[in-house]
Amino acid sequence: MLYLYLQFPALQLESLTSETTVKLPIAVVDEKHQIVQCNKQATELGIKLGMQLGTAAALCPNLQLIPYQIDAQQQALQSVAQQLYQVSSDIALDPPSGLYLRLCNMLALYQGINGYWQAVTAELALLPYQYFYATGGTPFIAKCLARLQLNSVSDNVSSSFEIVKRSPLNATELDTDIQQQLTRLGIHNLGQLLNLATAELARRFDSRLLNYLGQLRGDFYHALNYIQPQQGFSRYLELLYDITDTKGLTAPLSSLLTQLEQQLTRANARCHQLQISLFFRAKPALLLEVGSAQAESSAKRWLTLCQHHLERLMLPEPVTGLKLKVHSFTRPQQLNDDLFQPQQGNVSALQLVATLQAKLGNAAVTGLNLENQHWPELASSQHSPLMSANQQIAALTLRPAFLLAKPLPLNETIEINSGPERLCQDGWQLHAQRDYFVGRSKTGQWLWLYRTPEQRWFVQGLFS
Amino acid sequence: MSALLEQLTRRQLLWRGNNQQTAYQAVATGYAELDQQLAGGFPATGLIDIQTAFGIGELRLLLPYLQQQQQHSARLLVLISPLAQPSADMLAAAGINLAQLVIISPKNNKEALWAAEQCLQSGCASAVLLWQTPIKLAQARRLQLAAEHGQASLVIFRRPHLGLSLPVNLSIKLTAHPQGLQLTVLKRKGGWPTSPFLLRMHSRWPQLCLNSQAWQTERKVG
Repeated sequence: MLYLYLQFPALQLESLTSETTVKLPIAVVDEKHQIVQCNKQATELGIKLGMQLGTAAALCPNLQLIPYQIDAQQQALQSVAQQLYQVSSDIALDPPSGLYLRLCNMLALYQGINGYWQAVTAELALLPYQYFYATGGTPFIAKCLARLQLNSVSDNVSSSFEIVKRSPLNATELDTDIQQQLTRLGIHNLGQLLNLATAELARRFDSRLLNYLGQLRGDFYHALNYIQPQQGFSRYLELLYDITDTKGLTAPLSSLLTQLEQQLTRANARCHQLQISLFFRAKPALLLEVGSAQAESSAKRWLTLCQHHLERLMLPEPVTGLKLKVHSFTRPQQLNDDLFQPQQGNVSALQLVATLQAKLGNAAVTGLNLENQHWPELASSQHSPLMSANQQIAALTLRPAFLLAKPLPLNETIEINSGPERLCQDGWQLHAQRDYFVGRSKTGQWLWLYRTPEQRWFVQGLFS
Repeated sequence: MSALLEQLTRRQLLWRGNNQQTAYQAVATGYAELDQQLAGGFPATGLIDIQTAFGIGELRLLLPYLQQQQQHSARLLVLISPLAQPSADMLAAAGINLAQLVIISPKNNKEALWAAEQCLQSGCASAVLLWQTPIKLAQARRLQLAAEHGQASLVIFRRPHLGLSLPVNLSIKLTAHPQGLQLTVLKRKGGWPTSPFLLRMHSRWPQLCLNSQAWQTERKVG
């Protein structure tokens, strides 16, 4: 068995800021006012991990501080794992800042450890995080060596075991009280500890130490929870400053959409709908649903659709965060373009409809369907466009091109040309029957009129 | 002098009498006498301006043309801001494929013109019908370019004597007539305006034409 451990020392910090844009020293502080993460600028000014906030502030007065957020850290770790899943199958999270990768299955695929490591580093290079790494015969050996920042990979299990024997106790998983006890006994590194007989240790220490040593040696089974690939896509982006204008949202949104496009391309998939949540300081988040009838993957197409949606939106408050979520992916459709048709635009009918709906609203773009009904109000139905219509129904002849939303009482002279055609609603309710006529008004308009049993006349449609 | 002529030709300000046949590709209108008057039929692409009152038979005039346009290329037919709810029975009876029909009801003029341009430019619409939207000269030119690019035609229904003459392929004026429609060609690319002529619709729409033998009643209501 061979494991690789990756440790990310400044995950939350680097997920918020990028190396190139930020020139200030930044540190992440936990609730005990200890520095837990810091960037390069801060390290150069003498800030160390585990330092108290007061000391750090005295060393460096312009230090920028970010509170430690376990959620943000966990999310960043999860996204790294998802990214690495593209090249490696067995990955287990080790919160708050590490990943176990099981190698034995993957070595055959990449023809040895070097090929594998090349693939992993290529994937990690896409991410902004710095990392330490090491390999070992058990998960704990790999982790211990990564904490010592060994930064080497080899498939030689025995040599890594030799190195781990020299490691000090503070690089291990042992709790501080056990470490203190061991130090009082004169045990300073793992090698000394491993030389002691297990029975002797069991008398003095509790099961935590024995479990750890057993798992370190590989005697005990070490259960790891390997991650499953996520369905869909979900990313949150904290904005560095509040955005009041919808136009300003384009840049952060396009970076999220590019990440989505990368994931869709890798999975050879498309998606039909995006959910964009806009977060505000006081007001509840605003959910925006952007859809495209033709599944899309390109970030550029999605961005234009999102822009149309955003143009119609009034922001109640400045936006502080953005979240992009896609529930499910779909397979790409096969579009059969006609080879012999003259060159038309590069947009399909579904894409056109999606664009129109994004700008004008879903209700403004409809299709028309013929229903199997003789009653004029029910004969046509509006539905979402480009649905396959019911072809079997025979259309009634001599119907007007346009139906008025509500029949209007007739109050002009009409020349009746044909009729009557008696129509009755279901059940042959005699009081609701109508006698339809076709008539021509003095101005030359062709009207569709009806007469009720009470001898009242109404105009219902226009022959155009 | 010839340099000036050349410059004018390049800027398309000069029209030569001998390039008549290249004006536009015609699609038969479905009415023989109209085909004759229009030298082939309605233009397959570009703008068609129709000055008409509402409900006198303007859509009936276009239905055979629209059906051909839609069927020929299996592309969309788009209706933008129709004055009332179109009826599926009538369109289906005229042979129009309802699955390839899109109705757009925009909130204002700007949106209507935007939608028209998007549809024309996309190349997936064969014909776009636009009702009662005031159009400026520059906008019409822009729509014309979009229509040429997308190989589509745009039919604009306007009230008579409303607005300027637009840069269109064909402009006709319709007036109601008991036998069908009275038609005047106001402007035709590569052709001359005609004097008013009668288009009989009796063969296609017998119930929508008055004739002297038919049963007639006049009735005063109200």
